[in-house]
Amino acid sequence: MQPVVQFENVTKAYGDAVAVDDLNLSIESGKFVTLLGPSGCGKSTTLRMLGGFEIPNSGRVLLAGEDVTRLPPNRRNVNIVFQDYALFPHMNVARNIAFGLELKGLSSAVIDKRVNELLALVQLEEYAARMPFELSGGQRQRVALMRALAPDPQVLLLDEPLSALDAKLRQQMQVELKAIQERTGKTFLFVTHDQEEALTMSDLIVVMNKGRIEQMGDPHTLYTRPESEFVANFIGEANLLSATFVDSDAGGSRLSWKGRHVEAAAPAHKAKKGDSVLIVVRPEALHFSAKGKDKDAIPGKVRHRIFKGNHTSVSVDVGDGVSMNALVHARDVDALADDVWLSWRPEDATVIRNQAPAA
Amino acid sequence: MRALFSDPSRTALNMAYWGFVLYLLVPLTLMMAMSFKDANFVAFPISDWTLDWYAKVMQDRQFLEACIYSIFIAVATTFAATVIGVWIAMLIASTGGRWSALLFALACLPAVVPGMISAISLRIFISTVNMPTGTTAIILGHTVHAVPFVVVMALTRLRSMPPNLVDAARDLGADSIVAFFRVTLPYLGPAILGGMIFCVLLSIDDFVRTFFLGGYRPTLPMLIFAKVQGGMSPEINAMATLVLVVTAAVGLYAEYFTRRTRSR
Amino acid sequence: MTDNSLTHDISAARNGPARRYTTWIPTVVNSALYRSTLGVLVASPRSRFILLASVPLIWMIMLHVGPIYQMAKISFLSSYPIQQGRDVSYTLANYALYFTPLIRSFIYAAGATFVTLIIVYPVAYYVAKVVRPQKRSKALLLLLVPFWAGELIRTFSIIMLLANRGAVNYLLREIGWIDRPIPVLYTWFSLGFGLVYLVSLYMLLPLYSAIDKIPNHLLDAASDLGAGPWTRFRRIVLPLSRDGVVSGCSLVFLTCIGVFATPMLLGGPTTVLFPETISGFFHGASDKWPVGAAFSIIMLVTALTTAGIFMRIVGGKATRLM
Repeated sequence: MQPVVQFENVTKAYGDAVAVDDLNLSIESGKFVTLLGPSGCGKSTTLRMLGGFEIPNSGRVLLAGEDVTRLPPNRRNVNIVFQDYALFPHMNVARNIAFGLELKGLSSAVIDKRVNELLALVQLEEYAARMPFELSGGQRQRVALMRALAPDPQVLLLDEPLSALDAKLRQQMQVELKAIQERTGKTFLFVTHDQEEALTMSDLIVVMNKGRIEQMGDPHTLYTRPESEFVANFIGEANLLSATFVDSDAGGSRLSWKGRHVEAAAPAHKAKKGDSVLIVVRPEALHFSAKGKDKDAIPGKVRHRIFKGNHTSVSVDVGDGVSMNALVHARDVDALADDVWLSWRPEDATVIRNQAPAA
Repeated sequence: MRALFSDPSRTALNMAYWGFVLYLLVPLTLMMAMSFKDANFVAFPISDWTLDWYAKVMQDRQFLEACIYSIFIAVATTFAATVIGVWIAMLIASTGGRWSALLFALACLPAVVPGMISAISLRIFISTVNMPTGTTAIILGHTVHAVPFVVVMALTRLRSMPPNLVDAARDLGADSIVAFFRVTLPYLGPAILGGMIFCVLLSIDDFVRTFFLGGYRPTLPMLIFAKVQGGMSPEINAMATLVLVVTAAVGLYAEYFTRRTRSR
Repeated sequence: MTDNSLTHDISAARNGPARRYTTWIPTVVNSALYRSTLGVLVASPRSRFILLASVPLIWMIMLHVGPIYQMAKISFLSSYPIQQGRDVSYTLANYALYFTPLIRSFIYAAGATFVTLIIVYPVAYYVAKVVRPQKRSKALLLLLVPFWAGELIRTFSIIMLLANRGAVNYLLREIGWIDRPIPVLYTWFSLGFGLVYLVSLYMLLPLYSAIDKIPNHLLDAASDLGAGPWTRFRRIVLPLSRDGVVSGCSLVFLTCIGVFATPMLLGGPTTVLFPETISGFFHGASDKWPVGAAFSIIMLVTALTTAGIFMRIVGGKATRLM
């Protein structure tokens, strides 16, 4: 099955600033793919290169096998939903949605039928004759989405479309977007800097940083098994321990941290004894052991307790200026003494390369 | 805000405003009043009132011809100036930084040059290209004069357009020309309409350019001027009043219209 | 279309006839005629830019710069139009300054500008700050009405006012203040009066716009700190309205310098301004065109320079006309 989108060695630079650096990416049809990363990482540029609004300096962009690298946007079979929706202010909802269809040479009746289908998909049938300025943010967003879907593109591009909505509406739209993608079976390429959003909606997340792909994978894998410090920190919250690798086997790995013996999952990369590595432990994976019960548990002192609503974040000082954050259920926090012991299940800890080992 | 001024200053300003209003309106009112005078000479007081002068003017062939001539020139000017002005505005809006400032200055040049000099330079210009004085020259002169105003109005509106609008149109399959006519132009609509009305009024009222570029056929201002030089008469007042009422009405409507759409 | 469209019955949910859409565009765009002409032009970014830039640039260079350039060129010729059998040489003789009318024009224009500023400023302030916001448009509209009448008609109406048998003289005679009419027309006064009458709008709008932008809370704060009306005006309103003052004065000055009809109607034999002098060169013998051109260039250069210097000095480095 040929991938619907392919980037081959694509580079885009503006003068000296490199936005996208030798990007290679394949996207399968029918998937909800998210480009995730901080601002300036190149995700929007990548999207726009697929849409036709930027031309790469080198490399090729392929759509269903066809080289579209230099094709103008109106000749590509992709459509984009902009961050500010960009609805045509002088046209009503129906005409906005019909815009792309009118340019295809279809008859009025056929266009009308399609417009109605799309309006029904987002429950906006009553709003067909309304003008954009009469709609709320969420409604405009849905119209923009339907307008982009109307011409039946091969890929739908979404450039941070939810960032202008408030939190509640945003969550609602995330669910709706995912549902629409599943219903229509279209390939969605979604750009965001919000990792939570990416985790909620995506089949595949492509984490980008400084114009390059850091890691690609499904949300669960990216969360539980990050392959770099950047990804570990960007997605979710991470506790990082700088440790020395001892050995590993299929069951797990053993490492030495400040003279203590700790365990983790087997590393994804090849590590030899004595290598400097980082152990990644998510806050929710930390348990508090009773004193003396677990000989491998790490002792520490509780420094801060921060109430976060459905949990309390506890900051524990484990010595040498290193502190770890743990999550405690609100009802358990009072039972917590100041001196605690932290431990985790080995499979909950990931070992990654330490790119900047301390001297 | 109301506590901003003690009574004396506020009254003084109030008086200044109404004094100014009077200053602006009184001469025109007097001029209009004089058109009803039942006598052959222009003088106060007006003892007898009549509509005869209006009847005379309405039947005056010269006047009617000048009206049609002025309107024709105004329409041609409006069309040309709108097309050129919008085109220039599109160019300026698509550039940035120093180029855009330079082009804008270049576009506004005819408005900054004193009217007289503009007229003379155009007179010289048409002579160098062997164009005779007359209708075409007048239309050219009026258009050159009107273009900067259209540019400013169109540019202001263009700059408020969300930049993604044209991108969205192109993304959905429109090429640049279709995108212009289906998205940009409708968006510019109110500005263009305002600009067109402005062009019409600028053209009808224009005197100095018409003076230098015109041939033997008079426009309305030229006709009135010629008649004044020939001797004052309430007939001239009647003519002037007619022109005044019509242009003021159109101008008022234009103001009302642009203010209303600006709030949208 | 889509192969996984919804299957529930839409038509039942809708009421009314099917909408009409603009379906003719593809037929035009895909036609051979379009494709071979406009289609080619919009194909590449480069040709698009040429299409966008060509007409405006040609127009502006030819008709905005062109006439001034031609005027400058002619001003150096010894005679124009060029006739057979006559020597044509380039000369600076035309620039021998006809000093007095030029200076007179400048001083007069400057004076008129100043007077207009004094008269219009309070009105602008009134409308921008004292009138309530809802009533502001109406207040402005009232002031704008006369301006649509046009230069000629408004100048003409001044005659009604100031003539020997005009309203003012009539009123004064009726009251008994004078016995014989005061010949106000065809004097510097009538010219100035008409001039100010003509240009007040160009001063009003920039002033109004600038004063309007001064946030009210600044004035409130000043008042709160103990400043009286005059102090508030002098130290807050006046400095902050500088941009408007500069724009308005520049506009008015340039207009006054170049005004033509008004001096002809309201001025007289004793009030010859530069424009009239220049005009004489063009409506007389055609040999004098170069001289007229030279004078026009002088006038243009000095007028723009004066305006420019004024803008810099009073307005500071960041002044913009618009």
